[in-house]
Amino acid sequence: MRYRVHLPAFLISLSLLAFVSSLFAGTHGATKDESPAPVIQNADANSMRIEGEKRYHANCGRCHAAPQKFPPRMMATVLRHMRVRATVTADDQKLILFYMTQ
Amino acid sequence: MFILLASLFAGAQSPDDDKPVPILSGSVGTFSFVTGGNNVIDTQVNPVLLVPIADHWLFESRAEFEGEFQRPPSGGPYGGPVNKHVDYAQLDYIANQYLTVTAGRFLTPFGIFNERLYPVWIRSLQPDPLILPINTAPSDGAMFRGGFPVSGNANVNYALYFSATSIGIDSVDSERHVGGRMGFFFPGPRLELGGSWQRALQDTRKNAYGFHMGWQPAKAPLNLRAEFARSYEGSGYWVEGAYRLNQVHSLQKAMRRTEVVTRMQQFVVGPIGPDGEDAFDLPSVNMQEADFGVNYFFRDGMKGIFSYGRQFSSAGDFNQWSFGVAFRFLQPLGRVGVPAEGQ
Repeated sequence: MRYRVHLPAFLISLSLLAFVSSLFAGTHGATKDESPAPVIQNADANSMRIEGEKRYHANCGRCHAAPQKFPPRMMATVLRHMRVRATVTADDQKLILFYMTQ
Repeated sequence: MFILLASLFAGAQSPDDDKPVPILSGSVGTFSFVTGGNNVIDTQVNPVLLVPIADHWLFESRAEFEGEFQRPPSGGPYGGPVNKHVDYAQLDYIANQYLTVTAGRFLTPFGIFNERLYPVWIRSLQPDPLILPINTAPSDGAMFRGGFPVSGNANVNYALYFSATSIGIDSVDSERHVGGRMGFFFPGPRLELGGSWQRALQDTRKNAYGFHMGWQPAKAPLNLRAEFARSYEGSGYWVEGAYRLNQVHSLQKAMRRTEVVTRMQQFVVGPIGPDGEDAFDLPSVNMQEADFGVNYFFRDGMKGIFSYGRQFSSAGDFNQWSFGVAFRFLQPLGRVGVPAEGQ
């Protein structure tokens, strides 16, 4: 027997689940994911750039040759895509974006 | 329609310099595959649409338009079908640093090739691994996934998903199944290890599992990857090594752009039988294959490819040649502001 999903109910359920999850996420839900705000306390921009470059090579090289830099708004989209596709961590996403937009 | 929506959304966005902008990306490739003397010209366009929505959402979709042209046995011009389908059309909600919720049609996270290495501009060798069709039918349903550090030296990543046959996107048959994948990535040695599991909820209701690894040592331009899969449809593995010739001192400009690749793989048929294997696009007999290839990177995202492989099976041994060009494009669908330095 083939099973068919009732699409509206399915999407509403998922939305509810995502909403509940964001409540449990605490303050993470209130910040912008792509904001290149410091994730290493008291670290200066230079150390963030160095750390970002390191993580850029470690993460991007898992699948493909390291790409060139693109304008910041494009990089923000690409890194959100990579956050999902390649399960890049939130910290890696922020540091790589910082490095790629400096 | 997607592009129209993206453009409308782009127009409504504020001009903040760091605000993500919708992107039309994707790849184009044209290849000649000669297997056992039979030439197939394969031309494909794979557009990818990325539409970020607010701070935590992303709509992403990829379509495939692929023409497979060959000369008829009686002679005459090349001709053949042009296949088109939606590989994925999914809405992602990045709930927090541990969880992303995905709904829609998505690439099934069984192993790593299907999700991460499939695009023609990424893959090191253009012929598919023999085991690629194993448990990688598209999923129509929902997925929970994420990646986060578990210590200073390791990140864990996971994906849990279910597929419910059809949510209304036609042209590709999905199936009912549940599954998961878990992996560990060690950023220091750049080593990734993981495993996948899937259980079919229709027909045979069998379990399948697989393992994957990837290693990119920091001190050498080497990329090692491998996958193993075992299922009712069959079992097999592939091991691939790609080496960028950065460290060759002569002809440095050309060598830095050149990558040599080799892949060994094996497939063992399952109890499903030859007709079943055909239906899954798997070999109908036990098979081994060795491939060697060269990629030349003209620039970022564009490469010329050449490879030679030999298949060994009870159905006969065949040479397999391929050559062609692969290209990745990336186009913003909105104002992007000032480019980053160093471009």
